[in-house]
Amino acid sequence: MATITHPTFGQKLSAMLAETRLRLLNISRYPGQLVLEIIIPVVFASMPMLLGRATAGADAGANFAANTGTANYVAFLLIGSNVFTLVSNAFWHIAYWLRFEQETGTLEAIYLTPTSSLNLAAGVAVYSAIRGLTAAILSYIIGCLVFQVNPLQGDVLLALAFIFVGLIPLYGVAFLFGALVLKVKESNALVSLMQWVVSFLMGIFFPITVLPPFIRFVALLFPPTWITNGVRSSLLGVGFFFGQWYFDMAVLWAFLLFAPLFSFWVFNRVERNVKANEGVGEF
Amino acid sequence: MAALTPHSNSKLLTGPAAWWSSLAAMSKKELLIMLRYPVELVSSFGQVFLIVIILTLAGLMFSKDGVRPSDGNSNTAGVVVYGFILFMFLSDTLWTIGYNVRREQKQGTLEQLYLSPASKFASLLSRVTVTLTWTGVLCVASAFLMSAMIGRLPFTNLPLGVYILIMALAGTFGVGFAFAALTLRVRETGQTLANFFQFAFMVLCAPFFPFSALPGWMQNISRLIPLSYSVDAFRTVLMGTPPELASLPVEIVVVTAFGLLMPFAGYWLYRREEDIARTKGSLSEY
Repeated sequence: MATITHPTFGQKLSAMLAETRLRLLNISRYPGQLVLEIIIPVVFASMPMLLGRATAGADAGANFAANTGTANYVAFLLIGSNVFTLVSNAFWHIAYWLRFEQETGTLEAIYLTPTSSLNLAAGVAVYSAIRGLTAAILSYIIGCLVFQVNPLQGDVLLALAFIFVGLIPLYGVAFLFGALVLKVKESNALVSLMQWVVSFLMGIFFPITVLPPFIRFVALLFPPTWITNGVRSSLLGVGFFFGQWYFDMAVLWAFLLFAPLFSFWVFNRVERNVKANEGVGEF
Repeated sequence: MAALTPHSNSKLLTGPAAWWSSLAAMSKKELLIMLRYPVELVSSFGQVFLIVIILTLAGLMFSKDGVRPSDGNSNTAGVVVYGFILFMFLSDTLWTIGYNVRREQKQGTLEQLYLSPASKFASLLSRVTVTLTWTGVLCVASAFLMSAMIGRLPFTNLPLGVYILIMALAGTFGVGFAFAALTLRVRETGQTLANFFQFAFMVLCAPFFPFSALPGWMQNISRLIPLSYSVDAFRTVLMGTPPELASLPVEIVVVTAFGLLMPFAGYWLYRREEDIARTKGSLSEY
């Protein structure tokens, strides 16, 4: 009788990277979609920019500085829309990964292999982060050049540190959300709503200080809020939540340690529950 | 084997009654599909509010009063809310028809639909009937929400605003038919094209900001697009601001001509593309 051997760490890593490669190969077939991902944040940020310029005229910069802490509204809005790209990518790709396997008819085959679904989801997260980061960085640089603003002002390395540290808890939250999608099934509707909830809470185009105290408190429980403010403060000097960058970074590290473990635990629990009841193949 | 009796049922298959019956049956089917996804229904409601709030708050960051209620802030909210109302309706009519044709192709039911004697026009129209009703409810609710948050929205000439909205919708129905024709030809690329056109509309037709914010050369391109006149006229009559692209009577003539002519032109294009697809046998290909 054949015995089941558990995969080694190397084999798990190999499966994860294979999933990443598969997704990258798949998206490389749609270059138009990739180009749109770079253009969309610039167009999105240009909406309030043009509205503000037209309504405030010459006072646009001064009014914006009085409300947000910086007169550089181009970079402020572009940072918001590009962090939104990262967040949207994380939510769409993680929440949609099971649905993708369902649609391509490979879900059952995956569940028959000895590889854990979390390894494959981690592969999807790596793919999603590569795709999101590339699009966001290119979009930010192109947006700054289009609107004639220096993209490399402020502490760029610190801004990148906030992004890289923040990506891990961000994908942790996305996994948590993936568990909800696994249970409720309607991935499109949930992700569409969630990406706007998160963009509202993280202050995509405004500082979260304009929100009522309770909503502000909820916003601070989301890693994207800390990423957005960390990047804005590093590049534009709008001010860290706790005054100094290392305190804000420490909060992101706390998220980094807690969010993935908690999410994996919840995801595993929901997956086991779904497999035991209606099954993961149903949609 | 049952023999076909061409004359006995012909009255049931043609004429206005048959047309309305097909439209009602197909719209009912769309409504049923919509009701099968309650999370999506609730989510669409939430999304609309959030997008309007996000864009309004973003616009208010440029205001001297910040987020405090004031007349200036009501105008900013007016630009965003009215722009969003047009954007929502136009998106529905522009993309939903093509998207649904594509869905029938994917489900493998497009050929069956073409074998039935039901009106093709009713089939296309039914795709957006339910969506438009739902969008109407969402828009009214979002206008109330923004009025409660920021202050009363300006309603200078509501009847004329409704007329412009109806004409703009009729025109975009035509563009929607033309886009459905394009979907039959380009198939999967249709989705990417839809996104591209949507963003081009967001910039060139200026639904979320005044046209004066665009550079001169872009304003010249905007003047070549009938939808731009719909946006400008709609905003002008509701907010009582001066028109930016042409005088109001000229804008109303352009919007009316667009609303009356474009549906015929778009439907003609769709039937032409459909004939080509049927001749090639590519109707259900994807």
